[in-house]
Amino acid sequence: MSATASPVQQRALEAFYYREARLLDNRQYRQWLELVSEDIRYLLPARVNVQVDNRQRGEEHMISVERELEGADSMGCPIREETYMHLMLRVERAYKINSWSENPPARTRRIVGNVELMARGGDELSVLSNFHLHYARPGGDSFLYSGQRRDLLLENAGDFRLRRREVILDYADISLPTLGLLF
Amino acid sequence: MLRISELVNSDASLISRRCWTDQAVYDLEVRGIFGRAWLFLGHESQIRRAGDFVQAYMCETPIILSRGADLRIHANINSCSHRGLPVCRADHGNTRRFICPYHNWSYTVEGELSTIPQENALAGKPDKSKLGLKRVPRLESWRGLIFGSFDPDIIPLEEYLGDMRFYLDAFLGRFPAGIEFMGAPHRWVLDANWKLPVENQLGDVNHGAFLHSAIIPREAQDLIEELGYSVVTRPGHGATFRLMPVDAPVDEVAWGMEGMGGMFGGAEVQEYLRDVQANAAERVGPLRARMKGLTYGVYPNLSFLWSNASFKVSHPRGPGKVEYWSWAVVPADAPDAVKRVLRTNYSSFFGPGGILEQEDSEVWVQQFKGSNIDFADDRPYFYGLGLGEEAPHPQLPGLVSVTANEFYARQFFSRWRDELQAVESGV
Repeated sequence: MSATASPVQQRALEAFYYREARLLDNRQYRQWLELVSEDIRYLLPARVNVQVDNRQRGEEHMISVERELEGADSMGCPIREETYMHLMLRVERAYKINSWSENPPARTRRIVGNVELMARGGDELSVLSNFHLHYARPGGDSFLYSGQRRDLLLENAGDFRLRRREVILDYADISLPTLGLLF
Repeated sequence: MLRISELVNSDASLISRRCWTDQAVYDLEVRGIFGRAWLFLGHESQIRRAGDFVQAYMCETPIILSRGADLRIHANINSCSHRGLPVCRADHGNTRRFICPYHNWSYTVEGELSTIPQENALAGKPDKSKLGLKRVPRLESWRGLIFGSFDPDIIPLEEYLGDMRFYLDAFLGRFPAGIEFMGAPHRWVLDANWKLPVENQLGDVNHGAFLHSAIIPREAQDLIEELGYSVVTRPGHGATFRLMPVDAPVDEVAWGMEGMGGMFGGAEVQEYLRDVQANAAERVGPLRARMKGLTYGVYPNLSFLWSNASFKVSHPRGPGKVEYWSWAVVPADAPDAVKRVLRTNYSSFFGPGGILEQEDSEVWVQQFKGSNIDFADDRPYFYGLGLGEEAPHPQLPGLVSVTANEFYARQFFSRWRDELQAVESGV
């Protein structure tokens, strides 16, 4: 499915994602939460090394990303499947003096791109974007988080609220200190 | 050359930093502990049908755990007899053959060598019966939990688990169809030593009030400690749990109700959990029906987090690296919709994205850095809290104490020391 975004709409979507990235990297998490709809589903599927299905050889589906995901509808276990309450807990935790894995606070910098409107239904937009998030840890370690975000945005008077986010990380074997960041 | 006797003192109240960092110590652990213990491989629910397989590890050795055409469970080393490549690359699946990509030697799900394509062009035929995948010498399961051992002479699994079965059954026996593991394990690699995640899950309840104070309120932790028991059934095996009052309301005792899924997952989930608790006394007896577990450990590296329904294995990758695996665990007879809610009791707080466990993994990495400070080699870690305060209990098997007593760790390191000394002296 695809939908064409007008240049104005494309700019509005990109502006929304840039603002979101700035708030998160500036640790203004409470302001970020205002961009989130209270009925949000925030998902991070587990990604696995799957068996090749011989019957699918020659077909695109044989190597599809979808086959590698254990998501919310599967009988596997996603790494995160969260509600507004989970996100509130994460946001408030950041402003406590004893959130030790972010002490000193998370130094993140993310580049968001490849913003693509995929579908539209009423006031709901299905939008894809890619991100590279650099996470610098005390002591000189730094990590690259690479992935895709599959969003449902609620459009209201030219502004957007995040109603669903599915984060597809490009890793099955995780060598990252935490997947508890806000992507 | 380091002597093990210099690393852990006689009552294990002092533990050298080198226990966590030294390559020679690690090499002894591989032989003296992982070479001689029962190691957790997986759960029978992961390989129900003929041809089902999952990958596992025994220490650093890659294992294929599979259900054969004979419906028996098999465990083989994932390495081709010809040139050593892994013959299985998928985390899980169902197959009739494992095939090495290099020259297409193929193996049955049971691990027997099936075909050597090149032999058709040659006069000599190798004896295939001697060229199967190397078998794990011992394989046994108890209540669906599958363990393997490199030691052909190891004691039977049930004897190895001993009285830990009493505590494991308090959970496993609660559900009419037992438990099942949901999906592939979450696996993440940390720059830490394998023993600290184990110690953390073996009995270290008391760090909750401090390390996790951003999330766990002091009052909740006080309640845990007030009702809490710590037991060691045999050095290295331990459990912590709350023993709820006889007249406690069902919602306060029932497993799962205190997690995110249980609290906010809706009426169907809560009804299911109350129903389990209503039958608990009949299934596991009145004493164990009142048990509300916290952390469990089975020597050397299996953990079970009852409160957040997760099995975990701490796989060593040298002294300074660990590959940590964890699975969400749910009752096998629960409806699918209920299982999907209950798995969030685990993932909300634990696993690589868990809001609590991100604090733990930070500690494990920082502890490894601290252990490398060689100038402080004369300052072993203090493990003496509550020394000698544990005692037998009239109803609970093992040595019992309050959760603040670090005897679970002293017991672990006593066994660890004795086993390393045995292999050090060639026994």
